[in-house]
Amino acid sequence: MNAAVKNFRVNTRASALRNGGILVLLLLFALLVAALLGSEKLSFFDLSEEQRAILFDIRMPRILLGAAVGASLAVAGAGLQSLLRNPLAEPYLLGVSNGAALGTMLAFIFFEQFEFSRPVMAFGGASLATFAVYQMAKSRTGMNVERLVLSGVIVTTFLSSIIVLVTSLLDATKLRSFTFWLLGDLSQATLNGFYISLIVGIIGTVVMSSQAKALNLMMIGERDAGDFGVEVKRVRLLVFGASSAMVGTAVAASGSVGYVGLIVPHLIRLAFGSDNRLVVPFSAIAGAIFVVLADTVARVAISPRELPVGAITALIGAPLFIYLLRRN
Amino acid sequence: MTKRISIFCLLIFAAHGYGCRNAVSPVTVETNVRVMTDDLGRTIRIPVKVERAISLAPNLTEIVFAVSAGDKLVGVTSFCNYPLEAKSIQKVSDTLTPNIENIIALRPQVVFVSTASQLESFMQTLNEQNIAVFVTAPDGIEGIYKSIQDVGSILGQSTNAEEVLTGLKKRVSFVENQTAGTERPKVFVQIDKNALYTIGKESFITDIVHRSGGVSATADVGTAYPKLSKETALALRPDVIILSESEGNREPNDVFKNSPAVGNRKVFSIDADLLSRPGPRIVDALEQIAKDLHPEKFK
Repeated sequence: MNAAVKNFRVNTRASALRNGGILVLLLLFALLVAALLGSEKLSFFDLSEEQRAILFDIRMPRILLGAAVGASLAVAGAGLQSLLRNPLAEPYLLGVSNGAALGTMLAFIFFEQFEFSRPVMAFGGASLATFAVYQMAKSRTGMNVERLVLSGVIVTTFLSSIIVLVTSLLDATKLRSFTFWLLGDLSQATLNGFYISLIVGIIGTVVMSSQAKALNLMMIGERDAGDFGVEVKRVRLLVFGASSAMVGTAVAASGSVGYVGLIVPHLIRLAFGSDNRLVVPFSAIAGAIFVVLADTVARVAISPRELPVGAITALIGAPLFIYLLRRN
Repeated sequence: MTKRISIFCLLIFAAHGYGCRNAVSPVTVETNVRVMTDDLGRTIRIPVKVERAISLAPNLTEIVFAVSAGDKLVGVTSFCNYPLEAKSIQKVSDTLTPNIENIIALRPQVVFVSTASQLESFMQTLNEQNIAVFVTAPDGIEGIYKSIQDVGSILGQSTNAEEVLTGLKKRVSFVENQTAGTERPKVFVQIDKNALYTIGKESFITDIVHRSGGVSATADVGTAYPKLSKETALALRPDVIILSESEGNREPNDVFKNSPAVGNRKVFSIDADLLSRPGPRIVDALEQIAKDLHPEKFK
């Protein structure tokens, strides 16, 4: 966290707008690249009916969902890192994603007909996991890096074992689609799933941005923030709520895509400083770019077969995680 | 329930990337032991007279019963639901994890295995216990014939095995003759609706589809049971879709909604236990697929 404070840079409005503009352009570029690539070659100037179906019914919903999921996970990570004053806080590593995954699975088992039950129960699972980690990690002396990471490991492994238990009890055909989904998979994207993720992603990002100033103060320390007039409890509730909702809907739509919430906010802080008023919205855009590109790799690397996108994000994220751990 | 599970077994066969086709060569080394080569090319010493055997796959259990050696089975998996007698044999395994203690306690002379992944976990332990492990990995109908021959030979029922094979081969060549020279429709075999699993190059089902008078639309896709990209699936435009019937797989994926198969109502379901088990009943599957593809030839 000290690194974050040290890295606090004052951005002028003009430079912030310019940088934001660059990121938006990069996102548009990533979306374009993703739309151009796929297991099927499309002749874009003369689309047959079938190619139109491939582009608009299959490829586009998947790309858009990837963008929404990436943005949600990155914003959730950015918020949790500032709130917990811990650069290693990340939905996947804290077990929040696993909580959401378990919620989704239970929704699938008990309320299969109601598609909407999945994001709702994923939100419930994510909230419970967040609460559990927070309770375990806090102590009288405050919350240090190791304690939080360890609590996250405990919650993650505990929830993983419950997931294994549930999949063992589940019948084999359901299990088959779950194993792929658990690793983070966008192949079952639908426009409905995208709309839900988009709406929750936007609301979550707005809520998180509204708390950016308070989060800036809380990076110094909760007590100091309180002295500055920050309603610590309220901020905590809003940040936890927003991140759980975003992680919940993201996981319900695409499983546990790991490390997005870790590396994206970090890269943003390295590039633009740790003012949360920028980190939060910029992470949203960069998270979208990251997942859209990672999923493009997942779609074309071994086509016509597919990889789960979570494998790609973890492949990039895990080494970076180790690097950041050593740097701190 | 058990039906659905058998599809899982089908996926297990995906591990068979390297099925070898070495001929069986029973060579007498000692008076009571013979040497055989299994489908992985491993050389195995097997007692000449086997009285106690365990099967760790439903297709192998079916083969053992088909060659009239069911009475020698002392252990099977919980997926072994055919024939009915198999259900009353002690269960030593569920999905991928055989219970090694149960297996040893049953003192089998041979354990039949059909997945290489299962093998590694307990190979050494069984070796130390002097229990032979025989692996089958058929990649088509000929490989299934070989499995039947091998199992028959190991359990001292070679004559019965030959009889079974003669019957099966007759039925297969009847189907092949009926469908010879007909136009071969492009067939997509859908194993799971949501996660679009299908059959690839290394699946024995690809061979079954071809012998039924069709062409697998995914015959060139690598591995045995690949998860296919939806874009590619849409572009395949299959003439026929075969659903390996299970709870999550009762209708074609949406990407096929404009395919000739759906347009011409050429979507068929087949009992997953028949389709997914490389045993004697695969010929039932072959006959059913042939009738679905070429109804005019089987009136």
